[in-house]
Amino acid sequence: MKHLTLGAAALLASGGMALADGHAAEVNLQLQWVTQSQFAGYYVALENGYYDEEALTVNIIPGGPDIAPPQVLAGGGADVMLNWMPSALAARENGLPVVNIAQPFVRSGLMLTCWADSGITEPADLAGHTVAHWFFGNEYPFLSWMSQLGIGVEGGDDGVTLLQAGFNVDPLLQRQADCMSTMTYNEYWQVIDAGVTPDELVTFRYEDYGVSTLEDGIWALEENLEDPEFVDRLARFVRASMRGWAWAAENPDDAAMIVLDYDETGAQTEEHQLRMMGEVALLVEGGDGRLDEAAYQRTVDTLLAGGSDPVISAAPEGAFTHVVTDAALAE
Amino acid sequence: MARECVAGARILVPVVFGLTLLTLWELAVRLYEVSPVILPAPSAIALAFAANIPTLWVDFVQTILRGALVGYVLGCGIAFLAALAIDRSAFLQKGLLPVGNFIAALPIVGTAPILVMWYGFGPSSKVAVVVAMVFFPMLVNAVQGMKESDAIQRDLMHTYAANYWQTLLKLRLPTAMPFLFNGLKICSTLALIGAIVAEFFGSPTVGMGFRIKIEVGRLAMDMVWAEIAVAALAGSGLYGLMALMERQLTFWHPSHRSVRK
Repeated sequence: MKHLTLGAAALLASGGMALADGHAAEVNLQLQWVTQSQFAGYYVALENGYYDEEALTVNIIPGGPDIAPPQVLAGGGADVMLNWMPSALAARENGLPVVNIAQPFVRSGLMLTCWADSGITEPADLAGHTVAHWFFGNEYPFLSWMSQLGIGVEGGDDGVTLLQAGFNVDPLLQRQADCMSTMTYNEYWQVIDAGVTPDELVTFRYEDYGVSTLEDGIWALEENLEDPEFVDRLARFVRASMRGWAWAAENPDDAAMIVLDYDETGAQTEEHQLRMMGEVALLVEGGDGRLDEAAYQRTVDTLLAGGSDPVISAAPEGAFTHVVTDAALAE
Repeated sequence: MARECVAGARILVPVVFGLTLLTLWELAVRLYEVSPVILPAPSAIALAFAANIPTLWVDFVQTILRGALVGYVLGCGIAFLAALAIDRSAFLQKGLLPVGNFIAALPIVGTAPILVMWYGFGPSSKVAVVVAMVFFPMLVNAVQGMKESDAIQRDLMHTYAANYWQTLLKLRLPTAMPFLFNGLKICSTLALIGAIVAEFFGSPTVGMGFRIKIEVGRLAMDMVWAEIAVAALAGSGLYGLMALMERQLTFWHPSHRSVRK
């Protein structure tokens, strides 16, 4: 019930700071996926009133398997979106000028989980094996990695047989694939929950092989950033969100419970969310929201090395800005 | 002479209508500066189509020829044989029809992942999805078609001492033709939808459903629309082929009298 009164509470709390028209400024945030601890910082900022303190009314819009956040942004359904950098940069190249305004996640949580008994001990062993990977923009780090290792993805004895899988771990559990893309904070644990022990598995974190790409950045449309009021609104949004992330990292268990409160589908379990929050805390650790340009450059290089069909054909120009985070961190 | 004019107009009118729609689409996108990630212009789609013909072709072979068509022939064939069996046995009519109805009611988003798990990521699982989708519409039409001949016609065959098979081939199948083709036409579009959607749930790195999924992921909507165009052309082609065969085989039917050449 408390969600319903948030708007009213925001108005009361922001009494002194309300805008001329008497309304708190709105920010509509499109998540990349369903409500889960991956987005704990935003839910904490909402629940603990950090957005209210910045005189903001924030609507958090959950995503799903067939929702492309850039399309929601383009259609005006959201002011900002969370997006993995590969898909955001691809959208930018395809005519949707999105700009990264903040990067709460400093590390990537993407990894490859393989059966130990398939004989894979190092990345070079992947040749001749079957890998099930998610697509929809998640495939680029893997394609770049294989391209750098000189392993083809067209099958055969010296290449990887690549399968496009749904967002679950069934192909691995069914042994239709020797390896599968997983997130450190989510699908890896789904494999464990299915009764597999960690020593039956071999994992490769893309972060450890220099091919990781930045995940869960905050993106806005370039044209909106010309409006100082919008930039100011986003700066307050980012400041409150980073407070939310800091609190979530310090109080992971409480943060996971807050997320569960906001999960309207009822699909998430307490155990899974607690674990996810613990893993996500590792990904945001040490970040203040400001984009690390070295990590940005590594992401771009990884994408440009994406083999025969690179997701972006040229290094993007103006795809990020520090304007918002500079304003957010100034106080 | 007059007849030729009518035939020409029957082709010309839809062509003009379609071109007008495309022109309006192009104008609207340009005038209102619609973002290409929301709706690309027809010209952009045409360019993407022309630039990616090899890709579109391998996707077409994978999804339409190896998935949809195989499933279509299998599914409609099995349904036809089942209709014959149902026609001969009251027991099957009471048992099989409700089961067929139940299969038809299963949502593809529920069945497709399971069939991918059973039959793997290749075309076999797409064939299975298509079979499940086309089986029931074809069955219902075929069963209904078998009942089309009049009792007096069947009695006449009986007086000729015709056995079951002779009656089937000479009387009942011909009278069932309009129904059979109705089923075949409905299933032609269902088969394409089934094969494409099934690829969303698991596929090798080729196919129309796969391509649509990854291109949406990178917001290359012009390529998505190019695949949609291929699907539309393939669907119209298959439907047209069925309609043409129907006209050749059921020229005697009252519904075709007005357009007989």
